Amino acid sequence: MTISAQSRESVATEPVIDVCGVSKWFGNLVAVNEVSLQVYPGITGLLGPNGAGKTTLLHMIAGLSGPSVGEVKLLGEPVRQNPMIYRRMGVMSEHEAVYGFYTGRQFVEFAAQLHGLTQTNTAVDRAIEAVGLSDVQGRPLRTYSRGMSQRMRLAATLVHDPEVLILDEPLNGTDPHQRIEFQDLMRRLAGEGRTILISSHILEEVEIIADRILLMVSGKLAASGNIRAIREKLDQRPYKVRILASNPRSLASALIQTDAVDSVTIDPDEAIIVLSRNVSALQRSVPYLARELEIRLLRMEPLDESLESVFSYVVER
Amino acid sequence: MKPILLLSLRQLGSRWRLLLIIFLAVLPVALSALMSALASDDSDYAEEFTNVIIDAMIIAVIMPIVTMVLATTAFRHELDDSTLSYLILKPIPRSLIVLPKLLASIIVGGLFVVASSVIATLLGPEGSGQAVLAVGIAVFVGVVTYTTIFTWAGLISSHALGFALIYVFLWEALVSSLLEGVRYLSVRGYVLSIINGIDGDSFSTLDERVIEFPAAIVGVTFVTALFFWLTVRRLRRMDVP
Repeated sequence: MTISAQSRESVATEPVIDVCGVSKWFGNLVAVNEVSLQVYPGITGLLGPNGAGKTTLLHMIAGLSGPSVGEVKLLGEPVRQNPMIYRRMGVMSEHEAVYGFYTGRQFVEFAAQLHGLTQTNTAVDRAIEAVGLSDVQGRPLRTYSRGMSQRMRLAATLVHDPEVLILDEPLNGTDPHQRIEFQDLMRRLAGEGRTILISSHILEEVEIIADRILLMVSGKLAASGNIRAIREKLDQRPYKVRILASNPRSLASALIQTDAVDSVTIDPDEAIIVLSRNVSALQRSVPYLARELEIRLLRMEPLDESLESVFSYVVER
Repeated sequence: MKPILLLSLRQLGSRWRLLLIIFLAVLPVALSALMSALASDDSDYAEEFTNVIIDAMIIAVIMPIVTMVLATTAFRHELDDSTLSYLILKPIPRSLIVLPKLLASIIVGGLFVVASSVIATLLGPEGSGQAVLAVGIAVFVGVVTYTTIFTWAGLISSHALGFALIYVFLWEALVSSLLEGVRYLSVRGYVLSIINGIDGDSFSTLDERVIEFPAAIVGVTFVTALFFWLTVRRLRRMDVP
């Protein structure tokens, strides 16, 4: 499963995926808003909360839908209404539906036949082996678990040995062990010179494998670049923590004196709301101060750990 | 093309659908046998057979319903299950996705409807080889044309079955029988004209309801080609879920 030196050379000098001023709207709803981006060989993560427009963008990159304005090119060719581009491209959509009456092997064979492969058996064996499902390939897909079904879909996506892989939420339904195997497989494929674009709404999932991140929020490209730079930006955001204690006002007064805390308020339910940029220091300070002041701590919880708040913070900056 | 054809045949071959089609296919055969047993001395038998069994039952109702049930679901299954992308994301011309989908509907629908019409004709008063050939060819042509129309309908709307029913019973059954000019734009009119054109002696009772044989051939070819093209065009341009 290696791509030719000529292909590698051609994709290294120009973007493999070139999205230029693309917008997509459905009636009054703007799903993707003036997005321009380039994707080069290696693993790129498309990250964003649910509803950010990731799938709509991936659909346009895959040629499944056309942009309202703008242009998408893959390997220098337009994707839309250009079916022959799929010889070089493998797409795994977010939809998990499969032809349940097919066995796993028949499903991958079906994909191989539609790609016009001549050595079907060899290609199918290799793809199924790559996802580690050789032992269950004879079972009907309807009997597969969600994770197994996802992996067999990935085998069908890989069967024609594509140069470019577009995977929409490929880790849905997989367990931690399968995720590690998936990450290893993606790294191996990327190491062979392939271009892989993976979407996810889970930051940590993408962070582990992607060389580069594209961050989408509310239909726009909010940030792009090296994962560390984006992570550092995210780490600078203040976290909001809610604390319930037997004497909230005394604890609040003590907390505001510490360096770990940016601000403290007390809400109508007598809960302390703390804004902090140093959560680990806050976690150490709160029990210490409570013991000093003989205050009983009832509950301490983060209020905004959801990705949406993280993304909102990045966008607002 | 073969993998999509085999897939489509498997998708269309659900038990309830086949039972409905077999039931509809058996009806004209049973009625034809009954008419044959009860009305052998009746001078109007041949006319009644053509009007009731061939026209009103097979061509106006059973042929469109069977093709409608099959063809509207040819792509609708894929759209509703979000599996159409497995076909679209392959390096094959869109016409080679549409063609096997049509063929699957034609094979399943044609098999039952043509067999039913041929057996019913054999049991009827005009059971000559020429009459059987005329009905068999015309019904097959009708199945092909209806299949292309309803496959397109299934691709453009999730309510294709409802629209198809309205089209068949309003346009094909009611309007085309009341307004003579509409027969030039009616699949039912084409099919009756082809029967009459191939075996005018056995089906002379259709003389008042048909258009010229060449016009029917041109019409049926044009409509089939038009809806095939529309289906391929739709598949090329649509947003695939």
